[in-house]
Amino acid sequence: MSSTRRPRLLVGLAALAISAIALTGCTSNAGSGTSGSDKDPINVGSIYEPTSLDPIKGGSSGITEAFTGNVYEGLFRITDDAKVEPLLATGYKVSEDGLTYTFPLREATFHSGDPVTAEDVVFSLNRILSPESLGARKKQLSVISNVVATDPKTVTVTLSKKSSSFVYNLGYVWIINHKAKDLTSTEDGSGPYTLADYRKGSSISLSPYTKYWGDKPKNAGIEFHYYTDPTALNNALLTGQVDVITGLTSPDALPQFEKSGKFNIIEGTSTTKELLAFNDRVAPFDNVQVRKAIYSAIDRKKLLESIWDGRGQLIGAMVPPSEPGYLDLKDNNPYDVDLAKKLLAESGHADGFSFTLDTPDSGVHPTVAEFIKGELAKINIDVKINLITDDKWAEKVYGAHDFQATMQDHVNDRDIYFYQNPDFYWGYNNADVQKWLDEAEAAATPQEQSDLIAKANKQISDDAASVWLYLNPQLRVAAKDIKGVPVNGMNSLFYVSKITRG
Amino acid sequence: MLLSLALAVTVLFVVLRLLGNPVYALINLEATPEDIRAASAALGVDRPIFVQFADYIGGLFRGDLGTSFSSHLSVSDEILRRLNVTVPLTLISFALSVIIAIPVGFIAAWKSRTWYGTAFSAISQLGGAIPVFWVGILLVTLFALNLGVLPAGGFPRQDWADPLDALTSLTLPVLTIAIVSGSELARYVRSATLDILDRDYLRTARALGQPFSTALWRHALRNGIVPVISILAIQLATTFVGAVVVENVFALPGLGDMLIAGIRQQDFPNVQGVLLFSTVLVLVIGFLGDVLQRLLDPRLRSSLSGNRRVKASA
Repeated sequence: MSSTRRPRLLVGLAALAISAIALTGCTSNAGSGTSGSDKDPINVGSIYEPTSLDPIKGGSSGITEAFTGNVYEGLFRITDDAKVEPLLATGYKVSEDGLTYTFPLREATFHSGDPVTAEDVVFSLNRILSPESLGARKKQLSVISNVVATDPKTVTVTLSKKSSSFVYNLGYVWIINHKAKDLTSTEDGSGPYTLADYRKGSSISLSPYTKYWGDKPKNAGIEFHYYTDPTALNNALLTGQVDVITGLTSPDALPQFEKSGKFNIIEGTSTTKELLAFNDRVAPFDNVQVRKAIYSAIDRKKLLESIWDGRGQLIGAMVPPSEPGYLDLKDNNPYDVDLAKKLLAESGHADGFSFTLDTPDSGVHPTVAEFIKGELAKINIDVKINLITDDKWAEKVYGAHDFQATMQDHVNDRDIYFYQNPDFYWGYNNADVQKWLDEAEAAATPQEQSDLIAKANKQISDDAASVWLYLNPQLRVAAKDIKGVPVNGMNSLFYVSKITRG
Repeated sequence: MLLSLALAVTVLFVVLRLLGNPVYALINLEATPEDIRAASAALGVDRPIFVQFADYIGGLFRGDLGTSFSSHLSVSDEILRRLNVTVPLTLISFALSVIIAIPVGFIAAWKSRTWYGTAFSAISQLGGAIPVFWVGILLVTLFALNLGVLPAGGFPRQDWADPLDALTSLTLPVLTIAIVSGSELARYVRSATLDILDRDYLRTARALGQPFSTALWRHALRNGIVPVISILAIQLATTFVGAVVVENVFALPGLGDMLIAGIRQQDFPNVQGVLLFSTVLVLVIGFLGDVLQRLLDPRLRSSLSGNRRVKASA
């Protein structure tokens, strides 16, 4: 019967359409990333898309990763092993009283062609200090009382008080052309790469800057590809769409990469500390013994094992091994449930108590919070986990101090000074710590600075100001032919100019 | 239509602002209360809500959707750029789901007593029941990770400069949406067909000696298509919404990705822009569906002109 032909025809057409679409996929090369030669850009995958190209207007670690040292340069550079070296400044001189710094500038040009001058440095430093600026290190850099261009190639900075970490902090301040107009969709830095293309929500492409003053990039360019879903990021590497990923957020995908034999897993140290932070202002956490009891009730080794598969490090205070003032304090508050019970009894809470743990719903925080809940149940402390978004966290915990205890990962390097500020969200208030950290800033020698930071570090650990659960490992994964990937995660820095293929 | 739009704009504006202060999505851990106040003022979110609203509405009348709180880029530019991904994704998926749904639904109804009719009907039930992101994950695992024939996600930086490259990126997302929305559509087609096959006029046509195919073509299709068109309009809108979820799974820089990132960063201008755009689009599609139905169905036309006549005489 002729009527049966039509549906068959339709089914046939549908099948044809589907196979046509599938074929388009098969014939073209699905994995354009790994097949490239050294003339092709290196494809970098990341989940940290910059929220904006201008961190003064509120930023994220994403822009540090993509731009710092690559597109923009500071007067100084923080190296992968946490040292400071001159970059746009050729060095510096400090006055006898430690308050006046003179920076001679290197011959360099911005991507627009203008020379880098003292005027640009004055502009850039004032920009980060402006009232509406949300730039990193603003608070510490506010010791600057005056910046002047002594001559076109010399900048003189006067400080209101001594600051031994001043030069280090300058490593995070981009020098921007003062004539630059649009910094939200374009750039005008002096780094080895120019911004070739910016696709919000998807990618940032960098091309080598042909007139760069220093060593030329060893690759033909860099393309950062951004993913919101960590699984999508891992898949992109597995299928060759990207050559390297800047950081794994969990070790779950490692076996996949190890098994295939096509990837190198690069393990370095990070500056990211996972914290259980108390509100030290409110009962019962205003009591040192309660905090110490909780610290001793948590088996951090087991936690690190389960979260990071044994990678990463145990720390017992804020300062990680890569920074001045580090002491091995991981057993300063030992894991000892009996000790925990004893301390809790002494504090007058022998029967335990209950508290709310405000937990950001991102990353590993919810898992860690569940673990803590289980551990504290052993000493009769009942944890109520309250999941909140990162923004809610910023508003409720960071802004309003409306919390009992919380989870957070502190990414910044050299951030022990948060314990110096009694108005910080955790409200730790110890006059000695404040004095020592002040003196560390005023220290004459690096050794003196390091010793004073170590004293403060020991004190906050003795006081269990927070529970420093562990230091995250920095895990990057790259295709086997990719070389020169930065190993450590200093804050979020990711210098790309030495990455090569083949 | 304008009233629903005005309502949508207002509700959206108010509800978003209940979420909290967007400045907290921008600060780092060093920001002081003064910094936060200054940054709020820079965004303009420290002003009374009705001032902000008047400002926003004023902008809308000038065709200005505002500037993103996070990236500080123009919202309308951003939306236009992302349509390069979302529009082809939606239209191709929709076309494919119609191509799948009509024969599948028709056979499921017409041959409902045969084993393959039942099988088609079962498949369409199953396809419509699986969450769209799950279908996406399955397809990625099969075609990208195991077979390695299609990319797992992403979209070429050059957009459509190389159409083949762009189509390749869209293949798995399109299949994902088409499977789910094609299955849903097939169920409608099936029930519409079942309904028609039972009708007297079809039996009469056959009794008058018309072959089954002619009866179907002349009478059943013309009658059956009218309710299907309104379903199609709804389905097109649903496909557009489905694209939002799928873009996230496949890391496609379309409107859905912009919406989700906007919500996460409390970027009100971006969220408002995308939702306003989507609302207008859904309303327009619905309107066009109505118009098309009237053109095809004489009964709807006459009831309209009937109304007019009543009005004119009153």
